[in-house]
Amino acid sequence: MISHRDRNAQRISALDERAEALRLKRGMGIADARAMHPSIDIVEADPEADRRLLEGLADWCDRYTPLVAIDGTDGLFLDVTGCTHLFGGERAMLDEILSRFFHQGFDVRAGLAATPGAAWAAARFCGDRIVAGGEEEALLAPLPLAALRIAPEIRTSLESVGLRTAGAVMAAPRAPLARRFGASLLLRLDQALGRLDEAVSPRLPVAPLSVERHLSEPIMLTADIERLVSLLAKTLKSDLERRGEGARMLALLLFRVDGAVSRIAVGTSRPLREPVLIQKLFHERLAALEQDIDAGYGFDLVRLSVLSAATFDMQQADLAGEAEDNDADIALFADRIRARLGEAAVLRPVAVESHLPERAVATVPFSEAPQRRAPPRQRNNPPATVFPPERPIRLFRSPEPIEVPATEMPEGPPMNFRWRRALYRVARAEGPERIAPEWWRHQPGEEEAPTRDYFRIEDSDGRRYWLYRQGLYGASEVPPRWFMHGVFA
Amino acid sequence: MAMTAVARETVFALRRQIAKIEGTLPERLAAPAGAQSGARPDVDAGPGIAPELTPEIIILRRGLAVASPDAFLRTGIERLDTALSGGLPKAALSEIHGAETRDAGAVAGFALSLTSLILKQEPHLPVLWIGTSEIFREAGFPYARGLHGLFGIEPEQLLFSEAPKLVDALWIAEEAARMTALAAVILEIRGNPQRLDLTATRRLHARAQNAGRPVLLLRQAGEAEPTAAPVRLIVSAAPAASRDTIAGPLAGSIGRPAFTVSIGKSRTALPGQFTLEWNPDEHTFEERRQERATNPVAVVPASGRRTHPAPASGAVLAFPAVGSPAAGDQPSRPQRPAHISPRRAG
Repeated sequence: MISHRDRNAQRISALDERAEALRLKRGMGIADARAMHPSIDIVEADPEADRRLLEGLADWCDRYTPLVAIDGTDGLFLDVTGCTHLFGGERAMLDEILSRFFHQGFDVRAGLAATPGAAWAAARFCGDRIVAGGEEEALLAPLPLAALRIAPEIRTSLESVGLRTAGAVMAAPRAPLARRFGASLLLRLDQALGRLDEAVSPRLPVAPLSVERHLSEPIMLTADIERLVSLLAKTLKSDLERRGEGARMLALLLFRVDGAVSRIAVGTSRPLREPVLIQKLFHERLAALEQDIDAGYGFDLVRLSVLSAATFDMQQADLAGEAEDNDADIALFADRIRARLGEAAVLRPVAVESHLPERAVATVPFSEAPQRRAPPRQRNNPPATVFPPERPIRLFRSPEPIEVPATEMPEGPPMNFRWRRALYRVARAEGPERIAPEWWRHQPGEEEAPTRDYFRIEDSDGRRYWLYRQGLYGASEVPPRWFMHGVFA
Repeated sequence: MAMTAVARETVFALRRQIAKIEGTLPERLAAPAGAQSGARPDVDAGPGIAPELTPEIIILRRGLAVASPDAFLRTGIERLDTALSGGLPKAALSEIHGAETRDAGAVAGFALSLTSLILKQEPHLPVLWIGTSEIFREAGFPYARGLHGLFGIEPEQLLFSEAPKLVDALWIAEEAARMTALAAVILEIRGNPQRLDLTATRRLHARAQNAGRPVLLLRQAGEAEPTAAPVRLIVSAAPAASRDTIAGPLAGSIGRPAFTVSIGKSRTALPGQFTLEWNPDEHTFEERRQERATNPVAVVPASGRRTHPAPASGAVLAFPAVGSPAAGDQPSRPQRPAHISPRRAG
């Protein structure tokens, strides 16, 4: 028995058959139930876990149709239009779904109808019924008002005027009903009867292309999965060729025998359709996920879907049959690294118009970087200034504070400094180069960032560093601080 | 006759095998065997080879010296190239060591200079720089603006890969080493991890050989230990020369980057220490000779009027460098602009 807290009282929210046999009911207070039967076992409700379970089931139902929607807290809508023949007709499909759920330990009611409203009513009030098109009215007529999916207030007021079944409501004239009970009642009625269309919104976007293979003997080994991926990719290739597209995002769905579904997605930097390359990508991804994928008793359905596709540019191969395409090689290489080590494993610097050194270069993941212009543009034009300011070759992600005991001049470079607990003696220094903060980014409320004076320093061993002093001497009470920001060659 | 032909064939096959192990191109090796005259210049070029040895023996002993000149990346410094028997092997793993982490700037700078030389021949290919998170945190992340300014590497040509663990970095490096679409692969690690042993470096080296692309292994604060890399260079920073201006060197300024490079390991086992200066405008190396930097000698131009010119003061050694790439290091002397007072000849 499961309890939940409702209006400051613990009430029964769900109960099993044995509890029902004890004449306990839903919505009864826990205190009352305990008074009647002190030995009952009560568990606190966990809506979060229920939702996760329902989502897991929805994932699993993905094997029947890509259009699966979650209905409330305890129902699933499956839009099986055009899918039933794959399972041998409506009856066979319904039986298969029910028996599979039964073997997984679920007590399921199912209904199949031409409209979502009628199917909902059939599942909840008739149980296991298939309603042919046009029979919705006959189905709904004897059912109570709850079968119409209307709000409880409308239901009670309908009951108060003596309309106790759906059939009675249907027989009543429409205009007074709409005036008295609002448009939602008639909307629900029309939807259930198929006079108005009702869309089931699937919880996952429907893949434009997917191929799958049902297996009579479940597979468990990673090598088998990879082989199957390459088989599926071959099938996919012809579909992609027909559409003139390549996959930008692929997902591999592994349906485990006991209902768990693993979803493995890989992205590609450029449209892809070659089965070998697709298999390589999944090889890396599976290698990275080896610990996370629990094969359990094996997978009995493997599906490869193209989540997003893009136009595939055909390329002319040379006479030797080898297209020299270095960019494609690199894109594939980057994809494989990303598949195994994550999105940020391959980075590409992008120059940003900014004079702040740390903002002047942004590193973005390879897939988001703009494609390289080939060949790289020639820089014949001279630089804007005669001597562009020299920049270090390595920059610390966050400038590291250094201790500067004394400077010769208040605004000058340090004579020696301590960085990472080692003392450095300054042999030569160039500077300062003053870099002011970007005032146009300055928020009105916050304190203005101090200016920085950068110095190129060479220590007594010949190493060159980039230091800066933040703030000015005498500008405020706090003395300026020194930082190490980069290293020169 | 047939017997000798078969024997020759066997010898060639063995030689090819040796060449493969040593990292030389077998096609070139086979060529001089037929025509002995073809091998002659190589014999002369080889440093310290006794001339009475037959060319065949030389080929066997110094496989690298006779390999095609394309197999080496010439640094442009004659002494260093000679000591490395032709330059840095291009299709190989090369180690570049820094004694301490704070030398990371110099080590990276030297590696990037080499990369810049490689890019002169392969101008459109990208460069991949792999590092562990540790080294990027300790030594700083590569800064694309600086790399472009100093080495002429465009930001679009750069790819960085930051691996959280060494295993991942090694995996990326192995995958990258066999790609011909990359101009060079730089793998940077810190210290002497157990995982980067002889086997791991041999794998990298073999892949680099097959792909024909260099893999530069940067080891910061690492001890020398046995690896499969044929060359190990130890790099540290050298004090830079002053900036050159029209009025001579600017006192107290910091000029072009300079490195002290010593050969820790090479096939020729010739020791040597070199002070190299990188020219960021020409993208070339220039050597700085220590003796001239420390003991500048005023070179007196020889008079053209007299038949017996007075002997120049100071060592004559310093003079032949005029016109060679090292001319930039000539000690400054008051220069006489040619158009103001033209020198009379005769």
